[in-house]
Amino acid sequence: MAVTVIIPGSLKNWFDGADEVICEPDTLGKCLEGLAARYPAFAAKLYDAQGNISNLLIFVNGDNAARGKWLATPLADGDEVGIIPLAAGG
Amino acid sequence: MIIDDPNSHFIFIFHPNIYSGEKYTVYNGREMTNAQVMEHWGKWLVLAPRERLDGLAQKLDRFVEARLIPCIKYDRNPSKNLGMEECVMMVYCDFRKRDQVWALLKKQGVRLKAWVTEKETMELWMPGSPLLERWMESMNFDAATKELVREDAGRRLKHILENPDEIFSPWEQ
Repeated sequence: MAVTVIIPGSLKNWFDGADEVICEPDTLGKCLEGLAARYPAFAAKLYDAQGNISNLLIFVNGDNAARGKWLATPLADGDEVGIIPLAAGG
Repeated sequence: MIIDDPNSHFIFIFHPNIYSGEKYTVYNGREMTNAQVMEHWGKWLVLAPRERLDGLAQKLDRFVEARLIPCIKYDRNPSKNLGMEECVMMVYCDFRKRDQVWALLKKQGVRLKAWVTEKETMELWMPGSPLLERWMESMNFDAATKELVREDAGRRLKHILENPDEIFSPWEQ
């Protein structure tokens, strides 16, 4: 088992067309770093000009990670991460 | 009941009793106050093409009529002005019922699990917030209009926070 990152249709082109990708269980920050290293299109969109993640909402098992431990959120085997554009949250 | 008014950006699903004044911000049969909504209310998000959401709406309508889901709204078209390429469906409920509602969504094939609280939503649309500023920019509002919008948004939130025991009234959309 691993950590599954679920991608909405509109962001699939950031991940070479995949609708889900895998991360190793670690922290959310490590997961996102790993994805950015594997998928340059995602890397280009992940951070804003100030180096912050401000254009995306990222959920761990359904909850907005920014409301909890954010990038320090621990990820365990079987966890699911969801990534959506910020505008979808409004 | 699916309410599809072509003049609205959103398509809504409400219980028919909404037209006799019934509110949808209800928990265990009781209308919720501003404080209760800020503490407990929220929505599951579903991102998909319009056609998929139309099909999902047809399936979820019966759960709204059965009062298992309080209400739903979804985009008629993607909010391209905000960079969205898919439509968004918002399935509203009380946090304490969210697992039951998620089970209904999961059974309909919804995969990405994303819960946003009402408090978070309000914060996204408050004066100075990135989303409000981005939206106003996309609407080409002039400076004076932007200031009016910011004031209105701030006033709405202030009212909710200063009147916690008042029965919650949703904002017209």
